[in-house]
Amino acid sequence: MEGDAVEASQLAKAAVEKIDPLELVNEGMTPAMKAVGEKFGCGEIYLPEMLQATEAWNEAMKILKPKILEKGKKLEKAGTVVIGTVQTDIHEIGKNIVASLMTASGFEVYDVGVDVPAAKFVERAEEVQADIIAASAIMTTTMPFQKDLIDYLKANGIRNKYLIMVGGGVVNQEWANRVGADGYGELASDAVNVAKSLMTERRKK
Amino acid sequence: MISFLDVLDRAANGPIVSVKDYDMKRFIPKVQEMVKKYKIKCDPKNPSPWDDDLADRVYQAAMDLYVDVGTYCTDTGRVIQFTRDEVEQAAYECPKEAYFGEGPDRVVFRGRKPDSPEIPHCHVGSGTDTTEEVALKMVEAYGRITKAKTVSIPSVTWVSHLRTSNASPLETLAGIYAMRVGREGLRRAGRPGMGIINHMSSCAAGVSTIAASHPEFGARPSDGWLVAPHAELKINYSSLNQVAFLTSWGANIGQEAGPILGGYAGGPEGTAVVTTAYAFHGILVVRATYHLTYPIQMIPVCSTTPNMLWVMSTSSQAINRNLRVPYYALGYASAGSATKQYFYEAAAYLCAIQSSGMGIEDVHPNKAVLTNGALPIDSEFTCAFGHGMAGITRKEANTIILKLLDMYLDKIKDAPKGKTVEQTYDLTTMKPKEELVALYNEAVKELKNVGVSLK
Repeated sequence: MEGDAVEASQLAKAAVEKIDPLELVNEGMTPAMKAVGEKFGCGEIYLPEMLQATEAWNEAMKILKPKILEKGKKLEKAGTVVIGTVQTDIHEIGKNIVASLMTASGFEVYDVGVDVPAAKFVERAEEVQADIIAASAIMTTTMPFQKDLIDYLKANGIRNKYLIMVGGGVVNQEWANRVGADGYGELASDAVNVAKSLMTERRKK
Repeated sequence: MISFLDVLDRAANGPIVSVKDYDMKRFIPKVQEMVKKYKIKCDPKNPSPWDDDLADRVYQAAMDLYVDVGTYCTDTGRVIQFTRDEVEQAAYECPKEAYFGEGPDRVVFRGRKPDSPEIPHCHVGSGTDTTEEVALKMVEAYGRITKAKTVSIPSVTWVSHLRTSNASPLETLAGIYAMRVGREGLRRAGRPGMGIINHMSSCAAGVSTIAASHPEFGARPSDGWLVAPHAELKINYSSLNQVAFLTSWGANIGQEAGPILGGYAGGPEGTAVVTTAYAFHGILVVRATYHLTYPIQMIPVCSTTPNMLWVMSTSSQAINRNLRVPYYALGYASAGSATKQYFYEAAAYLCAIQSSGMGIEDVHPNKAVLTNGALPIDSEFTCAFGHGMAGITRKEANTIILKLLDMYLDKIKDAPKGKTVEQTYDLTTMKPKEELVALYNEAVKELKNVGVSLK
């Protein structure tokens, strides 16, 4: 929770010798990240602390994940998400927050960065067998690239393979409906809740 | 002051750092360190502090921060770094006044000290989304406000039936259209020489900005071009291309920056430091002759909360006590136009920045998301406030802000969305409808009761 990536890695190395790695993740790290997400949500901490905590999570997971797999066990995950900011848009803060909160909520998150063309979103989603593609746009002039992403999926006959979420300061529900997205969240925390609901629906089908 | 070529040299040959390392290993820890070192502490109970020492500590923290982290060039992955001597020399030698416009409409914009008795530079208009149908009339209405010194023209995001997208040819066409509309609107208002200082609000990309700035379409070097960074303290070649073009033309360049409270800068203390540090970035990298600042809180998305008002007041004081360059500030209200809450929020924001030495601009309504949602009456309010509240001190501002916060703070979360110009104006005459006039008069009366007088 302190967001010290080096210490998190060292602690993970030491702890994994004594405690089951899956238990470490489920009983230790996941509740800690959840608490970090909650503190961020209520304004107790800000993005730097959130990102530092995510860094610490990622470093610890580099140690723990292979050990979990070695033991033939599997990490419970809420879903797999490919997230990025659309083509020609280089704003990253909102996207980074959603990525961090999704990580904190048990999603496996693949961040493809900023200024991402539709093809790159889809390429990564295919590679990691994503459930959700989340595309951020901060400017009114970059919102059309969210529609481009959906058009690209349709043109390739794989629209229904993925749940598409759109977000960003200028995006609203009306735009999400108009471009045919599956989900939209006004705030980062909304986006996580929407992602969870979408996954629940998907699993029912 | 070091030359722009030196800046480009450093952008191309400065230390290589990954963007992640710049954020996580340089920027974030340094901001946190500066806040501690200079003992900067936000006091939301006094959103307009009158502590000169605090303002000067924020300035020193910003100087230390900028000397350490510089500006990151995202296209080269290098840091444009400056020595302390270079930053101090630039602060001393940078332009202290900016001239905008032509002929009888020409104005000079100078920095002011906190608690200054002078009337602030009153800038009106908005670069928010506006449809082709009303853009011309909006500019004409802005131009008719005689107290306004300079103007922002609308952002047009549709060309005929096609929506523009960033860096596309449509964006260039939208920029050209908006430029023509801006000039024609001001001519109709009888102020053809008035400086338009938010070029190119319809264009985000450097290429479309430069293309639409061809004098054939109406742009003049006595206008002003805003060059934006990326959060935080980052720039790319698209923006540096704009600077190369504008410095070669001798045009006014405005450094614009909107640090995010809750973003990489962290809490209000870090945001005040980063907001101030952008002044050095503006002077050195962007070669600014004027500056625009618009920090905003991430949650809720607006700049009228106590913490945000403290950020604005403190960073404005830091800048205007130590640099005194042409600087103005833009706020975002949670409430939309044509609501009383909008005027309460706008008054609180204007109190904080005017008393701290900033030039003033219309507070943008409803987070600036409603198309045609910024009204000319907002601009009239800004100018009437600037003149009526000339000489307001930081201490007086604090008293008024606290009363205003009581009137709107608990309503920010579910703020009214406001109305559009079509709903509130007679579009033939561009006069506000009776309902809006009545609401405005009522709001003005209530504001007077808490110490806000308009002129």
